Amino acid sequence: MRRTALVLLLALLAAAVLAALRPGSSYAAQDREQSWAPASRTHPAGTDALGRDRLTRVAVAALLGLAGAASAAAGATGIAAGVGVLAAFGPKILAGPLLLVCDSFLALPWLFLLMMVRAGLPLQTAPLVSAAATFLILALLGWPACARAVHAGASAMRRADWMIQGRAAGLRATQLMGRHLLPRMLPLLIPQLLISVPVFLIAEANLGTLGLGVAEPLPSWGSMLLELDNSALLASSHWVYLPVALLIAFLVLLELCVTEA
Amino acid sequence: MKPIRDDHNWRGWRVIGWRGWRLALVIAALTTGLLIASPMHAQSGSGGVAWAIKYDPKTFDPAKVDDQASELVRYLTGGVLLRINRHTQEVEPSLASSWTIAPDGRTLVFHLRAGLRFSDGSALTSADAAWSIRRVLAPATAAPVAEEFLTPGGVTVETPDPLTVIVHLPRRVVSIGRVFDEIAIEPQNRASEGRVTAGPYVVAEYERGQFVRLERNPHYWKHDPGGAQLPYLPSIRLDIVANPEQEQVRFVRGQYQFLGGISPEYFDLLARTQPQSAHDLGPSLNTEQLWFNQAAAAPLPAYEKQWFASTAFRVAISEAIHRQDLARLAYSGHATPAYGFISPANKVWFDAHLDVPREDVAAANVALAKAGFYRSGATLYDASGHAVRFSILTNAGNAAREKMATLIQQDLAAIGITVTVVTLDFPALIDRLMHTENYEACILGLANVDPDPDSMMNLWLSSSPNHQWNPSEKTPATPWEAAIDAAMQAQASATGMEGRRQAVDRVQQIVATEQPFIYLVYPNALYAVSPALAGVDLTVLAPGPVWNIESLRWQKGKR
Amino acid sequence: MRSLGGALLVLGRVALLVALVAMGTLALVRFAPGYFADAREMDAQHAEGARAALAARRASEGSVAALAGSVAAGWLHGELGVSRQYDVPVWELIRPRLRVTFSLLTRALGFAWLAAAALAVPLSGLGGRRGAAAVTLGSAMLLSVPIGALATLFLLTGMGGPVLAVGLVLAARDFKFLYSLLRREWRTPHLLYARAQGVGSVRLVLGYLLPALAPQLLALLLMSLVAALSLAVPAEVIFDVPGLGQLAWSAAINRDAPVLLAVSLLMAAAVGLMGACSRPAIRSSSGSAADLEAA
Repeated sequence: MRRTALVLLLALLAAAVLAALRPGSSYAAQDREQSWAPASRTHPAGTDALGRDRLTRVAVAALLGLAGAASAAAGATGIAAGVGVLAAFGPKILAGPLLLVCDSFLALPWLFLLMMVRAGLPLQTAPLVSAAATFLILALLGWPACARAVHAGASAMRRADWMIQGRAAGLRATQLMGRHLLPRMLPLLIPQLLISVPVFLIAEANLGTLGLGVAEPLPSWGSMLLELDNSALLASSHWVYLPVALLIAFLVLLELCVTEA
Repeated sequence: MKPIRDDHNWRGWRVIGWRGWRLALVIAALTTGLLIASPMHAQSGSGGVAWAIKYDPKTFDPAKVDDQASELVRYLTGGVLLRINRHTQEVEPSLASSWTIAPDGRTLVFHLRAGLRFSDGSALTSADAAWSIRRVLAPATAAPVAEEFLTPGGVTVETPDPLTVIVHLPRRVVSIGRVFDEIAIEPQNRASEGRVTAGPYVVAEYERGQFVRLERNPHYWKHDPGGAQLPYLPSIRLDIVANPEQEQVRFVRGQYQFLGGISPEYFDLLARTQPQSAHDLGPSLNTEQLWFNQAAAAPLPAYEKQWFASTAFRVAISEAIHRQDLARLAYSGHATPAYGFISPANKVWFDAHLDVPREDVAAANVALAKAGFYRSGATLYDASGHAVRFSILTNAGNAAREKMATLIQQDLAAIGITVTVVTLDFPALIDRLMHTENYEACILGLANVDPDPDSMMNLWLSSSPNHQWNPSEKTPATPWEAAIDAAMQAQASATGMEGRRQAVDRVQQIVATEQPFIYLVYPNALYAVSPALAGVDLTVLAPGPVWNIESLRWQKGKR
Repeated sequence: MRSLGGALLVLGRVALLVALVAMGTLALVRFAPGYFADAREMDAQHAEGARAALAARRASEGSVAALAGSVAAGWLHGELGVSRQYDVPVWELIRPRLRVTFSLLTRALGFAWLAAAALAVPLSGLGGRRGAAAVTLGSAMLLSVPIGALATLFLLTGMGGPVLAVGLVLAARDFKFLYSLLRREWRTPHLLYARAQGVGSVRLVLGYLLPALAPQLLALLLMSLVAALSLAVPAEVIFDVPGLGQLAWSAAINRDAPVLLAVSLLMAAAVGLMGACSRPAIRSSSGSAADLEAA
């Protein structure tokens, strides 16, 4: 099951790369006579409102979004794991302030920080740089909720049999963490990673309202997902469901890959 | 030891047993119970109409109206001396049966109708009218309308008898009659915030964030030709709905009778599914335009300021933009290419004979070459070797504007210019435009509620803070800006229509030649009106389909 | 005595959190671009009034210290300030909305947890691949579709509302965590032993699983609550529910500092109290098999 899922996942990525790089395709070229065109040889998935090839745009958006959201999700989960474990196993004096920082992160309105970041970035920031900055910020702001759960889990394991045995046997802290603690934290970390991917994709699109996110003409997967709230668009073409179908397929395959047998 | 392999599905289900199933049923019942839908908005009273507004009216005090929602409530409830006929753009008497203006334009005489009453039955006399006018003019009220009088402090109001009001102006104000369309007459010494009015409706109920309910004014002065008391419709409910999808679904279900501000895609869908409801009235008064930051104090590199200050550069940009594509793709065809600030819908002031730069990429390239720019590969460079690149700001949340920015990005790429599109939220955008002046180019729309160009004084005068491309100039930075100043002052002081028209035509031509604003499109006025209503007379001017609300009624058999 | 000291410690911690969040919120709102901007400035007809009002605000709230000072003065007088958008006292705005949001969140969380538990408990114990795959697909769909699209779907079909939308998305998240946790826990030696002994599944869940996972479940509940709070904002805006989320969103758009401050502090108090509740559970549990056998 796992192997099949992995193979399918890689095949999906390869298909996206092929679709994005096929000769004659461009994610930005506007074929203005072909707005909202149905599927054809030149445009296998039709075109969008500005006559741009939908297949190429979805493929590029998927690759860009995956790279960004997956790395942001991994980053946020990593930070959460680090902070949680540190709060649970580190010096007692560190735990209180860390958790306080964690809680305040949850309550503060970070929207305004993002506005300040946008104000600080030069207006002519290239779309890719703006996208990278957005995902970086999401990773830096997305860890608190999970950190608390990790801290709870790790604290519960402080007096577990295997922990006491390991310490008595003289295992170093890093060995304990790496070989014993982290695998036991996976049931918490893996779902967090899986959930963060679509959350960050949509968050990136929402940040477009603040001037961050992926800028035109680069396609944004999150924006394509957000378009689904427009009933007029839903009625216009079935190809508008392609981005969300792709995301669902990707998430299912990813989950099947990382979940233990 | 071998790892324990899990059982097959079916055997596993039996492990749960009856108790487990009962528990599952209880859980299912609980979950369904928790999903009681939130209560619907209050249904409109029988026979009334309803539609949605985007946000709460900030005030019900007609003197303090400063936003669209409050203005709508004032229009529907406030009795005014004069009303602008939204069809003909002419000022017509309303509470006043007639009015005269002295030849020097400084004395206005209003003759009130006999037997006027407020909604609570009390008599409406010239004393009430005078009190309302004086209240609007008083500095303590800080009424936005007061500024239209130019020198509100010097205006005096007399009431020689209960049916006559005389207003003395210290200075002549052009088209002063239309200002009285915005002054609601309230009972003397009793500012009622819309609860006692002389207009067709009265504010009856208000739930913050939810709805405003208006009831018919039983003492409204207007009667239909057959003598029946107007308005026909007994009540109006204005729901506060921020989500356009919600609004549209309710319209389709018949809960709302009007839809305004429809997106072009939704209009097309409606035109397919309910063709008799959808109305495209052609170009509205509004414009969408692109302009460059020409402020001297802008924190931009000097070479960029040079580009933006160069008329040839701006004209070339204007010639490179394909406005037909903007109208066709960004607005699904529901927009008209624009070349000037007065829309063809403004029949009185539109100048059809303007000499404007039309789409011509070859001419754009020639103009840029003449101005010292040169192409190297796919990039345009200025005379000092800087690649021409700039950003275009626009506000987030307007899909059509964002599409236009993307289309323009490609149009300008064809002449070698790299454009970055940045969408910001509105306060951050205003901060950049009005305070820090830290922007290069901007695309925004201008909603022109008043067709009279005199209302645009603050936009065209170079000393004004709203002189968008270079606000608050101490002296006009260029000869053509000085010429615009002179022409706008001329139209404000001209005595006859012909003089005014010539001055406004001059402004239109200067703007077309110098392109401080590069006009893109006039979005069409798109409305949806329930076919169950009769008497609907659609017009482009605000407030759209409800401008003659007192004459609207249900078709026979519909309610 | 110990419990009194513990309670004081908790209150002190919450107070510290609230103070930190208050200062942070004021600083963030004040320095974000657009604090001294007003949409009416762009309207040539109404700009004068807007500019005068803004100049007055700049004078009184020029620096964060001045802003904090005026807010603190207001709080000392027992009022939370006046909303910039609506010109009414903040408490008057918040009180009715608090009830609405609380009701929405409680119902959504209740539905989410019941649904997630009802699916996760049996599926994790059975090793049913097909069942799990089906629910994986369902949860992936719920997580991928933005809440605006869900709302439009509900509007077009005429069924469902904000509770269902938020509840479904939360259920999808909670299911993933619960399933993952429970899958591991079902396979611990003492549970396998108990199952082999024929102990009923209900007794297993209530008597063995829940106590063992209590701290983690509480932490998950906190995560769920935080997710619910953040989902409440778009859900209320899209479904036009007159709750705190809608107020918070319009306050953010309009830079309404008093309202934003009040909402942030409510959030801080909620998070702080939830955090405090989960800590005693951590301390008392050890996760060891010996404890379970003794139970």
